[in-house]
Amino acid sequence: MNTILIVHIVMTIAVYMITKKIYQRFPSPFLTPIFLSTVLIMAILIFRDVPYSQYEPAKNVITYALGPATVALAVPIYKNRKFILKHGLAAGVSLILGSTVAVVISLIMAHLFQITKSVSVSLSVKSATVPIALEIASLNQGDLALAAIFVMVTGMIGAMFGPRLLNITNISDPMARGLAIGTIAHGIGTAQIAREGEIQGAVAGSAMALTGVYLSIFLWVF
Amino acid sequence: MWKNISFVLLQLMILWAIHQLGLFLTEWASIPLPGNVLGMVILFILLVSGIIPITWIERGAKLLIKHLTFFFIPICVGLMTLGHMGISEGIFLMFVIMLSTCIGIIVTGGMSQTISRKKEE
Repeated sequence: MNTILIVHIVMTIAVYMITKKIYQRFPSPFLTPIFLSTVLIMAILIFRDVPYSQYEPAKNVITYALGPATVALAVPIYKNRKFILKHGLAAGVSLILGSTVAVVISLIMAHLFQITKSVSVSLSVKSATVPIALEIASLNQGDLALAAIFVMVTGMIGAMFGPRLLNITNISDPMARGLAIGTIAHGIGTAQIAREGEIQGAVAGSAMALTGVYLSIFLWVF
Repeated sequence: MWKNISFVLLQLMILWAIHQLGLFLTEWASIPLPGNVLGMVILFILLVSGIIPITWIERGAKLLIKHLTFFFIPICVGLMTLGHMGISEGIFLMFVIMLSTCIGIIVTGGMSQTISRKKEE
């Protein structure tokens, strides 16, 4: 292991821990850990004149743990399985409706403003979690780099504004909250809404997985 | 304390192994699902069937889920390579994403809450 790699990993951990503390004190959407950490690390890299390619090894190491972390989501699903099963139909209908609406809005806008097909395909996968989104995008001839970016931006918007949007619209039911964020804002949103409670986290985690499966079928048929 | 740490590390290794199994199976049987999602399904089945008791992995899983945000940060930092995109195109795409994300969240959450309230009545 080289020093730069370790420095970048330690820096990422440090920034994450600091932003978590800041968010506990000042819970504003612009101080959400995912957003603030991203901005701070970008700033540090740009300030020190480090290109992203040098940070990439650290990215690969940290992202590697995303696999086992996704697998771990089976635990809250398992613990809340009776609850989820009981509300399965309501959840399924809402998940399909919500993610379809999100895709259709993107596609209509893309059509109205004559966006190229590879960009609009990338837009349509943005509610799926990264590994699923990239898979679907490549199957449908989308732009992979753009797809990854759209997925990230969607997750960040969902994490930053989603919980407040649900407050404003009086959606207080824990299942509805978890479902909405997990369906639309995948893993990044799930990470955020899971702080509210175990039901939110469990529902969001399962919604995230199911949306990925649903979108791959929907876009394949479409 | 060391006992605790090695305990959690062991649990993380079990989760890692299940992830590897998911990756291997999707590749081997060409299942059109990402390996991590299949891994999640496998773990769920193992838990429901009682092959793996929840205590074997619960603490490791809790640790990973608690810090789920952390693992996404480096990918988001990748947004800094976006410099080549035109400003007007970037703003337009941001607007589309913002709009569809917000409406999607409200529709999904609103629908789910309405159905469960109707059911309770």
